[in-house]
Amino acid sequence: MKLKILLGLSGAFALLVYLPPIANACAVCWAGDGGPTDKAFNWSVIFLMAAPYAVVGSIAVWLFCIHRRSAARRANNGVKQPLVHLDLNPEDSGR
Amino acid sequence: MARSSTARRIDELLPANEPKQRACGGGDPPAPPVRPNTPIASNAWLAVLIFLGAEAMFFAGLIGAYIVFRVGSPVWPPPFQPRLPIATTGVNTLILLASAVTVRLALKAVIAGNRKELILMLGVTAMLGSIFLAVQGFEWIRLIHFGLTVSSSVYGGLFYTLIGFHALHVFGALIWLLIVFALAKQGRFSKERHVGLQTCSMYWTFVVGLWPLLYGLVYLL
Repeated sequence: MKLKILLGLSGAFALLVYLPPIANACAVCWAGDGGPTDKAFNWSVIFLMAAPYAVVGSIAVWLFCIHRRSAARRANNGVKQPLVHLDLNPEDSGR
Repeated sequence: MARSSTARRIDELLPANEPKQRACGGGDPPAPPVRPNTPIASNAWLAVLIFLGAEAMFFAGLIGAYIVFRVGSPVWPPPFQPRLPIATTGVNTLILLASAVTVRLALKAVIAGNRKELILMLGVTAMLGSIFLAVQGFEWIRLIHFGLTVSSSVYGGLFYTLIGFHALHVFGALIWLLIVFALAKQGRFSKERHVGLQTCSMYWTFVVGLWPLLYGLVYLL
């Protein structure tokens, strides 16, 4: 048990010693010098930000088109007959 | 024969041989006819649509990585690396685009109930897809001979990752298409039941639609 605590403390101390003095808040801040890498990351981030909207938007438009097509088809066909026969037959009614 | 144990669905039509229920009179007037509430798309269709959304995001990630290296490099392609075959791949692109038309015609054929045309169009689609893959493979062998490998440079790595994954998807779609082709030959699709063909057509259209984007990005820009 003591050995484990000692090893843990040694590990934590080693981490503290070897940590860089300055840590960037952003993983790619080293690229923020206005150079081509900066531009490349900007374009990539813009593309990746737009991608989910494009994907979900495409699916939504597709579903909307299918819904409209289906509604138009249903309107063209019309409701031809009642699904359950509810018409009164005087002979059956016994009146 | 009337079922006594289970309730009849409201959109279910009354069988012709079933005797009409005796009208009893009195009570509320009969309800207006109910329109059948059929779904606009099948569950399989919706599942494939969501799957395609995930696939699109997967390729978006790869394209994002490509953009980082492509825009970040002052010289592209890097020096001493072979140039990509633009013309041959351009023709190959047309072949793949033609396969999207034929798979659409196959779907129209099944809706029209034309089984012969369905089999023909599926066969043509599979053939065009195979030609695309064969030409891609041939070009890759040539590029490897010219020194463009996965480990030769970032250029090679990106090319084989992006285009390779697309080729893998075309290969998967081709296997699916061949299964659908075999099922169509067995007469398993009809005007009313063809969701297997429909979903396969969706996937094929996706991989075909993705290719011009990748071609423009990797070969032309």
